[in-house]
Amino acid sequence: MAQLVGAFASSHAPLIARDWDILPPEAKQKISSGFREMRSRIEELCPDLLIMLAPDHWVNFFLDNLPAFCIGLGPEHGGPPEPFLSPKFPYKKLKGHPEFSRHLADTAFESGFDPSLSYNVNLDHGFCIPLWQLGLDPLPKVIPIFVNELEQPMPSIKRCFDWGRMIRSAIVNYPEDLKVAVIGSGGLSHSIGEPTMGKIDERFDKDCIDSFSKANEAEIIEKLIKNLPNAGNGSEEIRSWIIAHAVMNGEGFELIDYAPILEVYVGCGWAEWKIA
Amino acid sequence: MTDYWLSKMMFDLQKSGDVSSWRADREPFLEQYPISEEMKQAVRDDNLAAIAPHVNAYLLRFYCGICGMGDKEFIERLREINTPERH
Repeated sequence: MAQLVGAFASSHAPLIARDWDILPPEAKQKISSGFREMRSRIEELCPDLLIMLAPDHWVNFFLDNLPAFCIGLGPEHGGPPEPFLSPKFPYKKLKGHPEFSRHLADTAFESGFDPSLSYNVNLDHGFCIPLWQLGLDPLPKVIPIFVNELEQPMPSIKRCFDWGRMIRSAIVNYPEDLKVAVIGSGGLSHSIGEPTMGKIDERFDKDCIDSFSKANEAEIIEKLIKNLPNAGNGSEEIRSWIIAHAVMNGEGFELIDYAPILEVYVGCGWAEWKIA
Repeated sequence: MTDYWLSKMMFDLQKSGDVSSWRADREPFLEQYPISEEMKQAVRDDNLAAIAPHVNAYLLRFYCGICGMGDKEFIERLREINTPERH
């Protein structure tokens, strides 16, 4: 049977790639050390497969067809199309896992979800900045799950908890031996293309971090419904963390590091949910 | 309210990456989409306050980059907008 070996989360600010060569040394050091520690922890778990959660930044989807959740089913996925990341990213294609992703889709439909499915997706910086910074070698197979975290209306926080539990069920019921890790990519607070752009809401970030450690699901949902509308539009990406949290049944959260890095406009966080 | 065709033009511009043609002459692009005359004028005038409430904020950022606006100017102009609207 497949084994859920752990879950992780990290930020994916595009300026980490675009401005990498001109970022202040202390910002680069903080970013590098967060991802380095995360890589070390992932390598210890030796996953065969990464299930990644991230938004699509207008690469695969547009307003004519905007899924709440989309599972990448293909045997491979395209690498990042962004000119600021593509030359730095070591892969033009990333290997998928069609058998598991089909199982995941079947589990979703059997569980009352109706996700979008795609055999042909490109993974933008939301997926590929963490993968680039992590530098896993060899890179495990990747199943991308796109979560609409960019355009309202978005899947509710409660729905994201349910979606995470569905992913857990799919992993633990997969009949073949496979070590599976989950990575939620996004957040923490940031604001893009709105008058508060560049501002980081440290109070929101610390409250989220605290909530993953201590709060129950109902409390997290209540807090986010109250606080998300004022934390910047990029903060909606906390859904990726919520799903990772739910995959792990809300247990084992451990903050790796947090740093509000103004140069990349993002409250950057790295976290692991450990198996008890 | 979201302006689909204005958003579509920005999305297509981002996809094509045809920055030089856009910067040289916006009219051929504007003619391809059934965008209202009012919004076309806002595009010609770089009127961010008129455009911003009708497009996704991330798309707006891409678009302003295509127009040659750096982050510093973009942020300054966003802050001049008095009535932020979430998308």
